[in-house]
Amino acid sequence: MIALRSRADTSALGRWFWTIDHWTLLAIFTLICFGYVMMLAASPAVAEHIGQSRDIFILKQVVFLAAAGVLTVAVSLLSLSGVRRLALIGCGVAFVLTVATLVIGVQIKGASRWISLPGLSLQPSEFLKPFFAVTAAWLISEQRRQPGFYGWISAIVLAGMIVGALKLQPDIGMLAVIVMVFFAQTFIAGVNLFIVGALGGLIAAASVGAYFLFKHVRDRIDPFLSWNGAEHYQVIRAKQAFGAGGLSGRGPGEGRVKDVLPDAHADFVFAVTGEEFGLIVCSVIVMLFAFIVLRGLIRLLKEQDLFVILAAGGLVTGFGLQAFINMGSTMGLLPTKGMTLPFISYGGSSVLAVAFGMGMLLALTRRRHGAGTAWGHNAGSAP
Amino acid sequence: MPARRLGAADADSVPRVETVRLTRPDLDRRRALNRTHGRLVFASSVFALLFLVAIGRLSWVTVIAPRIPAPGDRPTTAFFTAPEPRDPELVAVPLAVPRGPRAMITDRNNEILAISLPTAALYANPRELVDPEDAARRLKAVLPRLDEAQVRARLSEPEKRFVYLARQITPREKLNINTLGIPGIYFENTERRRYPMGRAAAQVLGGVDVDGHGVAGIERFFDRRLAEDSTPIVLSLDVRIQAVVRDELIKAMESFRAIGGCGIVMDVRTGEIIAMVSLPDYDANHVGHATNEERFNRAVTGMYEPGSTFKLQTAAMALDYGTVQLWNEFNASQPIKIGRFTISDFEGKKRWLYFPEVLAYSSNIGAAHVAQTVGAERQRAWMRNMGMLNRISVEVPEAGLPIVQTAQAWKEIVTLTVAFGHGISVSPLHVARGTAAIANNGVRVRPTLLAMVPDMIPPDAERVMQQATSDTMRKLMRLVVTDGFGKTSEVPGYYPGGKTGTAEKTGRGGYQKKANVAAFTSVFPMHAPRYAVYMMLDEPKANASTYGYATAGWVIAPAAGRTIARIGPMLDMLPELTNAAKINASLAMPLQPTRPPNGVRSPPVAAVPPAAVKPGRTPPAVAARPAAPRPSPAMPAHTPRATPPTGAPATRDLRHEASQPPSTALLAAQYTAPSLVPAPNPNR
Repeated sequence: MIALRSRADTSALGRWFWTIDHWTLLAIFTLICFGYVMMLAASPAVAEHIGQSRDIFILKQVVFLAAAGVLTVAVSLLSLSGVRRLALIGCGVAFVLTVATLVIGVQIKGASRWISLPGLSLQPSEFLKPFFAVTAAWLISEQRRQPGFYGWISAIVLAGMIVGALKLQPDIGMLAVIVMVFFAQTFIAGVNLFIVGALGGLIAAASVGAYFLFKHVRDRIDPFLSWNGAEHYQVIRAKQAFGAGGLSGRGPGEGRVKDVLPDAHADFVFAVTGEEFGLIVCSVIVMLFAFIVLRGLIRLLKEQDLFVILAAGGLVTGFGLQAFINMGSTMGLLPTKGMTLPFISYGGSSVLAVAFGMGMLLALTRRRHGAGTAWGHNAGSAP
Repeated sequence: MPARRLGAADADSVPRVETVRLTRPDLDRRRALNRTHGRLVFASSVFALLFLVAIGRLSWVTVIAPRIPAPGDRPTTAFFTAPEPRDPELVAVPLAVPRGPRAMITDRNNEILAISLPTAALYANPRELVDPEDAARRLKAVLPRLDEAQVRARLSEPEKRFVYLARQITPREKLNINTLGIPGIYFENTERRRYPMGRAAAQVLGGVDVDGHGVAGIERFFDRRLAEDSTPIVLSLDVRIQAVVRDELIKAMESFRAIGGCGIVMDVRTGEIIAMVSLPDYDANHVGHATNEERFNRAVTGMYEPGSTFKLQTAAMALDYGTVQLWNEFNASQPIKIGRFTISDFEGKKRWLYFPEVLAYSSNIGAAHVAQTVGAERQRAWMRNMGMLNRISVEVPEAGLPIVQTAQAWKEIVTLTVAFGHGISVSPLHVARGTAAIANNGVRVRPTLLAMVPDMIPPDAERVMQQATSDTMRKLMRLVVTDGFGKTSEVPGYYPGGKTGTAEKTGRGGYQKKANVAAFTSVFPMHAPRYAVYMMLDEPKANASTYGYATAGWVIAPAAGRTIARIGPMLDMLPELTNAAKINASLAMPLQPTRPPNGVRSPPVAAVPPAAVKPGRTPPAVAARPAAPRPSPAMPAHTPRATPPTGAPATRDLRHEASQPPSTALLAAQYTAPSLVPAPNPNR
């Protein structure tokens, strides 16, 4: 239907279709399809595990995945100023809700990250990730545009407040990703390498500090560090799942790891994929992530607008890091972190937040008239 | 290019000053943008690398080095397979199903001591149940041992998806339950550990818990080995010998109303433990119901003061260090007073005793004097050499640590008391091993519960004394049985030698006068030692047949003798009666030997410094006594029995000595020479 539109079509949808990055959009929708398949594979066992109705469990995620598709497209329709406005509002709301979880949050597995709404538990920190990336990008690029603006200071203060809230929850995995994304943005922004290095050192020191300060961080790192010692139970199961899968997998629905891993549908969904579909399909998924990230970054080389570069760069970095950390920890490459695999893992908050992020990415990377001729003077970012 | 100024002349259209002011930020921006682009390239490279690593790792875990779970998994237990060696966390997983059946344990003749039989456990998934009440009722109908109310309660837990209902389901019961056709009821293939010999060797085997893990003994010591390797473990035990030892111990326990007992038979040459019994015991099939007292393995865990059985150690030590000669005499006429302690003899002779007499009559005073000639330091070194200070590395986890004084606290009083087995607590196995080492040509072996390959050189064998010392000690041990307190253990044709020991049990705040541990440690046959036999009764009570005595010579030495008589033929040893005279002659040892014309051993005892005896406190214990009347003229050492210990039999207190009637045909055959037939017991 969309493909039938001619280039002469100047309606909003027509303009969108001809300016959007088709390849990234295709990759995103392919990922959503994989998410659908994996949810069908992993969820029934998990639903039985946690004692929920299987149909409602699946139906929920079907609704979320559909909503994610619609959301991605809808957000990608926005103009630059629309993206910025959405991010600023979204960042504010998500931050307030994140702080609110500390007060009214639902405790699940030792951390209060969720706000209970009818029908779903909302994890606001998931939304904080893409919205903060865009907000920080705007703050930084705005200072470049008008030197009197305290963009850097504001971005750092905001980052500090978010870090504080996430530390209190505690949600160290999310905190790490947000800090790393912010770090990547300062790096891309062209900040003096000495400062970048100092910041990197600070993050490293904080990581070491977290190891000694938080017991649950230590519990995750220790088994990982002792290569020959006791491995993490879940990682052993995950590795066995990959091993059982081999090149082409046991076959759809034939997986067994989902029966024994309570997190098979969320953090360890990649192990289910590996067991049921094997190396080939898993490689395709890794390459889809790699494609979205690398294409997103390389396309920014043609971009002149600092806001677009930082915002899109931050979104892509966050997306890529989250995917890599999830897959890496499932395969025993990294310590286990409570982190979802974008679009593939079960969970409303995760899917919707990633959809927001990818929608904004698509919106930011749409071909714009006049883009590449000026620096920071695009219509979208006019004061 | 900056914009032209409208309305200006061509030459003047681009003002120089303004151009500079405008282009600097522009250049800055351009430079910043170039830098940004460069860093974007760098970030892309990093991500490319990360994803390459991810693909590489993916290939590694799926194809290159996959971890394959064990085959035969069912969905419910999919990954709860046998724990991998470096995975202690998973050992505790309740659904663990061992790889194969747990390995058998057999005795040295391949008699099965422990075997795993396949059985099924009944479990249910309450979520799949339609009607828990009905299901519970129908299950109860075919499985009467179920508690219906409990089953109903378990089946009515909808938040669970796994509840055990019953273990050890027989095939018939399984068929009946399957016939019921209740959805949500499943079987888990498990195994059941059976001990066909029941109580025999219960403490050695230990037992397993409901999940099939060893809880004690061999089952625990070799838990992983049994689970992973299904080839049987062959023990050194011989279940027939085990049964005999247990039988004799039970009889003795009942006769003397003892609270417990212990028996060990060990091959002195290899260290293989042929029997190890501890009473009271339990049925290994129901280790869960056994009391602590029943599970307690006295042979290795119980630490008892060895009492007079340790005088063998004292004698061997002094002979080996050369501080004492056989013809030396020791003053046992009066108690030794040291500090606030007094060392006295039980029913003592109240006279000077020759060295063999010290052993035969079990004189505490004499033993203390003997130990004095050696001194604290060398005594402790001897004990260490004999393994009395350390845990025995036998293959049960219960092996205990002896209770001994530290080197600093090993003062003179300790030297004197350890000489007769007090002030030190060791396990019966320690005593048996020490006795075996003395008899086995002075070679100490490591006790083991595992069968050895025939003709295998025993590992960790170590010479701990001279051959000559062992030769003399064998004669002395034999003397204790032929002429001393151990007469009741005599078995014609098996030539046992040994030593009795009765020690008061230590309790709250000192020794308990009424509570004894009576032990007899022995080896047979003395002319070619093969087996050590140790037997012990805990808190025996005297009865009429023992004239009110509950000492070892009365209560346990006879049991040891009967045991030797019964197990000898099982160990392929028939009574050696044809060469009895020759054998007896080779083992002969006079109670009161004379100094040979040319002293074989030097230095003379009188020259030995009175080791730890402080002058003035006690009279010198060891001294030449030329003035003392010799009870008999000097006789050559090879015809000892021709000289009855003059005077001694008349004054000897026979109440706790031999009471075994020697007038059997066998004995008559054994003692061929008329002069060798013992004089009739005046008290009988």
